[in-house]
Amino acid sequence: MNEVIRAAGLACRYGRTQAVADLTFDVREGSLFALLGPNGAGKTTTIRMLMNIIRPSRGEAAVLGVDTRRLGLRELQAIGYVSENQQLPSWMSVAELLTFCRRLYPTWDEGLSRTLIDAFDLPLDAKIARLSRGMRVKAALVSSLAYRPRLLVLDEPFSGLDPIVRDDLIRGVLELAGEERWSVLISSHDLDEVERLVDTVGFIDCGRLVLLEPLTDLHARFRRVEITTIEPPTTTPALPAHWTGLQVSGRIVRFIETRYAADDTERRGLEVFGGASIESHPMTLREIFVAVARQQRETRR
Amino acid sequence: MLLPFSVVLRPGRPLHDQLVFAVTKAVVTGQLQAGDRFPSVRVLSQQLKINPNTAQKAVTTLVERGILDVHPGIGTKVAAWRPVVSAARRAVLHEDIERLVIDARRIGLDRDDVIDLIRRQWR
Repeated sequence: MNEVIRAAGLACRYGRTQAVADLTFDVREGSLFALLGPNGAGKTTTIRMLMNIIRPSRGEAAVLGVDTRRLGLRELQAIGYVSENQQLPSWMSVAELLTFCRRLYPTWDEGLSRTLIDAFDLPLDAKIARLSRGMRVKAALVSSLAYRPRLLVLDEPFSGLDPIVRDDLIRGVLELAGEERWSVLISSHDLDEVERLVDTVGFIDCGRLVLLEPLTDLHARFRRVEITTIEPPTTTPALPAHWTGLQVSGRIVRFIETRYAADDTERRGLEVFGGASIESHPMTLREIFVAVARQQRETRR
Repeated sequence: MLLPFSVVLRPGRPLHDQLVFAVTKAVVTGQLQAGDRFPSVRVLSQQLKINPNTAQKAVTTLVERGILDVHPGIGTKVAAWRPVVSAARRAVLHEDIERLVIDARRIGLDRDDVIDLIRRQWR
């Protein structure tokens, strides 16, 4: 089996609202996959369908080779799941929570659990109810990492947390790095954090997958292009469909090339605008995300 | 555990290339010396907060280039004998020179102008 997650035509409707429509994607074993999208795009709904918390209204998905509607103990013992609003038993202390979890998972690694508790500076005696949000997420993460899951699912793990806690969390997750056959699905808004971590990006907007690509391909094909023209352009020439977000200001023309080819983009840019010079800059995941989201908004209009 | 070499990763360029470059530079400049222990993929990945597969690929490239050696059961070390070093020495400046040449052409300087500028700077 090479895919840890397979979703085919997955859809979810809440009353009249189509939260997710026709979602098809795979997560390969060994991959770190990011599910990105604006608020309300359907990321959490998707993850909840994959975790069998809610039922899809159409389509189907398999996790670790098993239909999500039939996920059983065996699969759940191999999946780590941490969500933004994780419900933990608030009356327990951290130590009690971890003792409780240890009994549920045959692969529990007490050494790893201790390493993480130390790294996270987790107070073992404190009641979960009294923990800060950051500490609660850390406790949830220890309880989901210590059994070395084959698949780790993180739903907005960093949202609302300070940079130090985020840093700790990432390092914690990466304690499992180097593990064979280890895969991660992460939904997040924190693109700078995710950028170095993931290898594949799925972009959801209005419940639909608008982009699904290896991150290296995204980095290769997106460029921020800036042309200095000889004369200020007076009319807008017809542009190839893969140039978006055109802005003109004086002699400067800016746009986003979504299908960059070295030299070719530069040659055409100069040709189309009668340019004197041209520069194309690589884009960060954040910039690519914003460009794609804008493009989507414009096509909806 | 801290990393025993300097590395600042910048967005935009492939992380694999940046990491390979940083380690090569550390070896050429003596930050890393023959026989020094090199961090594991897990430590690299944690410290730089990068995808473990990227860290693994960078290590593989460095082993292929003869900069690192794999010692089964012990880990990875900086290679003892490095026929690649003179090539690596040149590689350290490669990117900067490429940028210099592009910038020079853009503002209309020719090769002699640039060599002249370098000569003056050298003094």
